[in-house]
Amino acid sequence: MGLLDVINLDVIFGEAPQQVHAVKGVSFSVREGESYGIVGESGSGKSTVLRAICGLAPVSGGAIELGGREVVSPRGRDFYKTVQMVFQDPYASLHPRHTIDRVLAEPLAIQGFDNREERIERALSDVGLGPGFRFRFPHQLSGGQRQRVAVARALILEPKVLLLDEPTSALDASIQAEVLNLLDRLRAERGLTYVMVSHDLAVVAHMCDRLLVMQHGRAVEELTRDALRARTATTDYTRQLLAASEGYKPAEPK
Amino acid sequence: MSDTLLSVENLRVTYPTRKGPAEVVRGVSFTLGRERLAIVGESGSGKSQTGRAILGLTPKPGIVTADKLSFDGIDLRGAKPRQWRALRGARMSMVMQDPKFSLNPVMTVGAQIMEALAFHGRSSRAEKRDRALAMLEAVQIRDPKRVFDAYPHEISGGMGQRVMIAMMLVAEPDLMIADEPTSALDVTVQVEVLRILDQLVSEKGMGLVFISHDLRLVSTFCDRVLVMYAGRVVEELKASELHRAQHPYTRGLISCLPEIDTDVRPLPTLDRDASWAL
Ligand SMILES: Nc1ncnc2c1ncn2[C@@H]1O[C@H](COP(=O)(O)OP(=O)(O)OP(=O)(O)O)[C@@H](O)[C@H]1O
Ligand SMILES: Nc1ncnc2c1ncn2[C@@H]1O[C@H](COP(=O)(O)OP(=O)(O)OP(=O)(O)O)[C@@H](O)[C@H]1O
Ligand SMILES: [Mg+2]
Ligand SMILES: [Mg+2]
Repeated sequence: MGLLDVINLDVIFGEAPQQVHAVKGVSFSVREGESYGIVGESGSGKSTVLRAICGLAPVSGGAIELGGREVVSPRGRDFYKTVQMVFQDPYASLHPRHTIDRVLAEPLAIQGFDNREERIERALSDVGLGPGFRFRFPHQLSGGQRQRVAVARALILEPKVLLLDEPTSALDASIQAEVLNLLDRLRAERGLTYVMVSHDLAVVAHMCDRLLVMQHGRAVEELTRDALRARTATTDYTRQLLAASEGYKPAEPK
Repeated sequence: MSDTLLSVENLRVTYPTRKGPAEVVRGVSFTLGRERLAIVGESGSGKSQTGRAILGLTPKPGIVTADKLSFDGIDLRGAKPRQWRALRGARMSMVMQDPKFSLNPVMTVGAQIMEALAFHGRSSRAEKRDRALAMLEAVQIRDPKRVFDAYPHEISGGMGQRVMIAMMLVAEPDLMIADEPTSALDVTVQVEVLRILDQLVSEKGMGLVFISHDLRLVSTFCDRVLVMYAGRVVEELKASELHRAQHPYTRGLISCLPEIDTDVRPLPTLDRDASWAL
């Protein structure tokens, strides 16, 4: 048993005949303090797995357990105190008419935290944004700056488990390094547990102890970091992922 | 048509802020032929603002000035809305960085692609539908029929990005500005999408401005690279020679990348030197 167990999870959207079976019998177990990666094809159900854990996608079959107990639906306040998610689409997840200050203050108010001023300033500086950003609106930020606000909003509630959906795919290498270092440091200092979706194998190899490879809604392979480094992938798809990570190669001339 | 598709000289974009005007693009100059030009640079360095200004998409109250801004001999400075309508979508187009935000949330994906096709001459509804489905297939969407009828919130992040690319490609523009077009795609799909862009450049002579922060990708996919820092171009290089970059910022960027095989912890970060922003 881990801290977070996903057991034979199925997610089905919509009604027949328009049904989309987005996740098919996926299981994995994340230990406390571990960083667990999910990689895989676009549309393979990675975000949906994270959303199902958070109660934002239907659990059509199987179960999700936190600390050995099945989570309740709808997820309560306690759940969100323990588990926070950073969404893939930072623009869509930030309210366009709320300043960054309000984006960060609201969850603090809902969860009844004290020292809000201090926490907001700290959270912004943790992700490398100066106080000058505090009263801006999302549309006045660059893509990477918005992504950092999304990370700050999740961290500010000091959760135990952080679900990160492509947390650095919108960031340039230098900011990515800063955010990855921050996540690494927080995990060491606060004993956090991560589930991290990324399509960048190098990022996953750097951050995660183990990883799951998904394709067409199914888990096709689970690997340790060492196995990834040794390229001991057992499925074709994982091998293709490794090959494509080397960069772009023009098609062979016909 | 000449070899130079786009000339940009001394492009500046300024926004009024509470602390006075903020210049976010500060004198950018470059020319683009029928090639793949990358713009890389750190978050907030002005890459997207540069792209938007070229297409006349700078949001209010931003102000754009340039000594020269011409596309295929047409002066874009002070172009009339009617001229923009004839150019945008048909001859020049931009794939935006936030795909889901740029898609209309209350319209199906298929309806949006068909709308983009309307720029591209007259054809029947059935023909448009076939074109749209073919385009979705070309960008590696597995079940194009379902995605055609789906609303933006019903598709994944990478699917949204490919839908945006499909919309921009249907018109076969002469100039395409692609802002982080593949950042949400897994590498196997990314390769396929890049092949399509590659083909348009090499077979149809399209000019491509490829905004990205993925240095590994850019060094293998593009011809030339502009490196931006704090609103300026600080270095221009042949893409294949990116590893020989001189500017400390560019060199720093390269060393920040994690690698599958090495375990450097913490990752090196940049000590930004105030003089780089001068
Ligand atoms: N409407 C606005 N008002 C004021 N400042 C703005 C506005 N829009 C953008 N900016 C600022 O302009 C700068 C350049 O933004 P831009 O979006 O071009 O960055 P970028 O290089 O594309 O970064 P990223 O890689 O994070 O997308 C940023 O510092 C941003 O905060
Ligand atoms: N609300 C919804 N209604 C219907 N189908 C949905 C919904 N949300 C997701 N899907 C479908 O579920 C599948 C998995 O989507 P998901 O977002 O989990 O993919 P992903 O692995 O995160 O992909 P990406 O890497 O592109 O973000 C996709 O086919 C998508 O179209
Ligand atoms: Mg996703
Ligand atoms: Mg940008």
